[in-house]
Amino acid sequence: MFRYVVKRLLQAIPVLLGLSIVVFLLMHVFSPDPAPVVLGEHATQAQMHAWRNSMGLNKPLIQQYFSFLIGFLHGDLGVSYYTHTSVTKEIMSRFPATVELALVAIVLASVIGIALGVVSAVHKGTPIDAVSMLLALVGISMPIFWSGVLMIILFSGVLHWLPSGGRINPLLAPVGGTGLFLVDTLLSGDMEAFVDALRHIILPALALSLYSMAIITRMTRSSMLDALNEDYVRTARAKGLTPHRVHKHHALRNAMLPVTTVIGLQLGSLLGGAMLTETVFAWPGIGKFIVDSILKSDFPIVQGTVMLIGVIFVIINLIVDIIYAFLDPRIKYTKEEG
Amino acid sequence: MKAMATVTASSAFASMVGCGSKRASDASGSGSGSGDFTITFAQGADPRGLDPAYIDDGESAKVMVQIYENLLKYKAKNCEVEPGLAKSYDVSDDGLTYTFKLRKGIKFQDGADFNAAAVKKSIGRQLEPDRTDDMPYAAFTFGSKADGTGIESIETPDDYTVVMKLRAVSSAFLANLAMCMASPIVSPKAIEKGNTNEHPVGTGPYSFVSWTKNSDIKLKRFDGYWDKEHAGKAKNIVFRFIAESSTRVTALANGEADIIDGVDEADVDQVTKNGDVVDKFDGMNINYMAFNTQSDTFKTAEARKAFAKAIDVEEVVKSLYKKYATYANSVMPLWMAPYDKDIKQTAYDADAAKKELASLGITKVKCITYSNPRPYNGKGGTALAEAFQGYLRKVGVEMTIDQYDWTSYKTTVQAGNYDVCFYGWNGDNGDPDNFMNLLAADDYSMNVARWDNADYKKLIAKGLKTPNGSARDDVYHECEKMVADQQVWIPVSHSINILCHKKGVKGYVFHPTAVTFLKNCTKSA
Repeated sequence: MFRYVVKRLLQAIPVLLGLSIVVFLLMHVFSPDPAPVVLGEHATQAQMHAWRNSMGLNKPLIQQYFSFLIGFLHGDLGVSYYTHTSVTKEIMSRFPATVELALVAIVLASVIGIALGVVSAVHKGTPIDAVSMLLALVGISMPIFWSGVLMIILFSGVLHWLPSGGRINPLLAPVGGTGLFLVDTLLSGDMEAFVDALRHIILPALALSLYSMAIITRMTRSSMLDALNEDYVRTARAKGLTPHRVHKHHALRNAMLPVTTVIGLQLGSLLGGAMLTETVFAWPGIGKFIVDSILKSDFPIVQGTVMLIGVIFVIINLIVDIIYAFLDPRIKYTKEEG
Repeated sequence: MKAMATVTASSAFASMVGCGSKRASDASGSGSGSGDFTITFAQGADPRGLDPAYIDDGESAKVMVQIYENLLKYKAKNCEVEPGLAKSYDVSDDGLTYTFKLRKGIKFQDGADFNAAAVKKSIGRQLEPDRTDDMPYAAFTFGSKADGTGIESIETPDDYTVVMKLRAVSSAFLANLAMCMASPIVSPKAIEKGNTNEHPVGTGPYSFVSWTKNSDIKLKRFDGYWDKEHAGKAKNIVFRFIAESSTRVTALANGEADIIDGVDEADVDQVTKNGDVVDKFDGMNINYMAFNTQSDTFKTAEARKAFAKAIDVEEVVKSLYKKYATYANSVMPLWMAPYDKDIKQTAYDADAAKKELASLGITKVKCITYSNPRPYNGKGGTALAEAFQGYLRKVGVEMTIDQYDWTSYKTTVQAGNYDVCFYGWNGDNGDPDNFMNLLAADDYSMNVARWDNADYKKLIAKGLKTPNGSARDDVYHECEKMVADQQVWIPVSHSINILCHKKGVKGYVFHPTAVTFLKNCTKSA
């Protein structure tokens, strides 16, 4: 297993190197000049030229790329053109919000998605199945900028049950800790703040989970149907096991393999930031931040954030593969196979 | 029971290992001022930063005006200046030396003394040779050696006297010193510490507590504020950043915000339906179309006037912006330059336009515009360009429109490859030079009409040297006439600023520079 992990990590090097080249070229070749945005309306051509020189933007591209790469390898992602703050600090001040939202959303999506998928498969062809599949279709089809706004109007604007946006009432916000407000407020025993953080995360997490939930539901259903038709399930039934025991211990565990991959990939993409959800619900994560930075041609921020997302994807894929081994005893990452 | 046990165990664990967190509000302490309430102001985006030397955006200014103060300040409803941290000022006969007498006994929020040395440090870092490239307003506010403008030196003959010597006479200089960019005085102790962009310290009625990026900024009442009569009324002020206009409106209805700004016109009716209040204020801005006076098509005033006759600008403003912008008959809004009321723009005359454009052989026009809504044009440049395009089609001219996002647009405009372009301007300081100078700049970053008229430049130079008063008004009136006669632009509209709030919110002051002063703001249920 150890050799396998090391090998996978080594394989990640060319992936990340390729990613760094693509993101660097996309920003430096195809993005507009950052100078007018950074220096403001009063800047003259001469001032902009001087600024580009001081930022090294007039140097050959290859030289700029290696400066970026060397910085990245040393953990130095540079400084934002726009805010003059270190890229690492800018990212880390927003990343916990993205992690918290992604984790709650993926838990919601997984729990509800797997439950709906299993029920749907077990009751195939019944109205329950039809309703589950309809829900999944709605989840995939509804864009978040629409479903999110509808939720806000209903639960905040009309019913006044939940806040319209943000992570927490700013006056209750915990300082320090992990940056995950649900965890920090719970650890500090501040139940008023915990409840407030929970109320704030419900709508964005629900909106964000809809798409993943739909995919997980469909994948679970399809995978369960395959499993339910297998010989070992028929044998289990013939042995006289209760339907519940057959579904839970024989069908579901085997059906979980592809579902695990889907959950892993969904989590990876959620951790990359959810631009629309974060915008609609004023959630202070990296999704909206990266889009704003692209629009401002803030090269260091975009490069740094994309590289971070790349690293997260690589790690999550690795974790999913390791989880495979625990779910399916037939998979062993031995020396030969690894 | 199990859940409760977990929570209790967690609390016990946290208190045992001390790894829990404390509330941000714990840091705010208790104020001795008048109220124990919090005012929450929701705006569309994070500030760029909180050090006036390094910012150029309105979102930053809205927060900074609660924290910092300037030597001079604007009056509540206009841009006339009055004493601020300086109790008086004197201008030498030659207009080159400004002597400021500072108020005594003022402390910065970090305990540092406000004195002449503090003023010198805060402004001096933005003067050459200490000025850095990332100070967007430094050259505009304090001038430059290359242009022979602005501050040549700052002297501090005693602790409470500051003498600024200028390189050239500038009637806009005092207005510049009251701006919320560059001019506010920052604590010397905080400057020494660094990172004032994220940890601002001024002498204003509110001090900085915390900034959660993309989420909120918290301020608390500064109990050591020097002007006890005008100290902050609310204990805390919270700025929340909510990108979507409709979400801000819901946040207001839901009681999560007390005041919101930047509300889209489409959402305004919802605010009133929710029982909240909509306030409107004249904007200090201009939304315009510029002719490229160096293009083959529009190098003559005759061609530009023929084009202008094809567009019914008043009708465009009415149908496109409804009640959220006013027709611009001059470059400056009339509330700012009442002497412009007799300026006449080219009247709409489609028949004459058709004839004249045909005789000039103008059948195709290349237009570039921006796609995003801008503060001076809530509908975005594309909608406005398409309205113009419709009128031109009626007179036999096909106008092609290339649209760009704002960042790309600024670069595209600089390249100058267009016949006409749409642009706009938000005033900085209420001085007429701040608007009319746009057309005199040798650098075409803002002079997008690429107009190079020696007589106009002479007038602008004269305006800067003429003391405020009717003689100076005459100069800028002459500038306006020249711009209209030469048809360098087609001025379109001045947008209206919209601020919405809960019914019980009172006492806020919205200033024409598009910032809202909250120190006198109160709220009742």
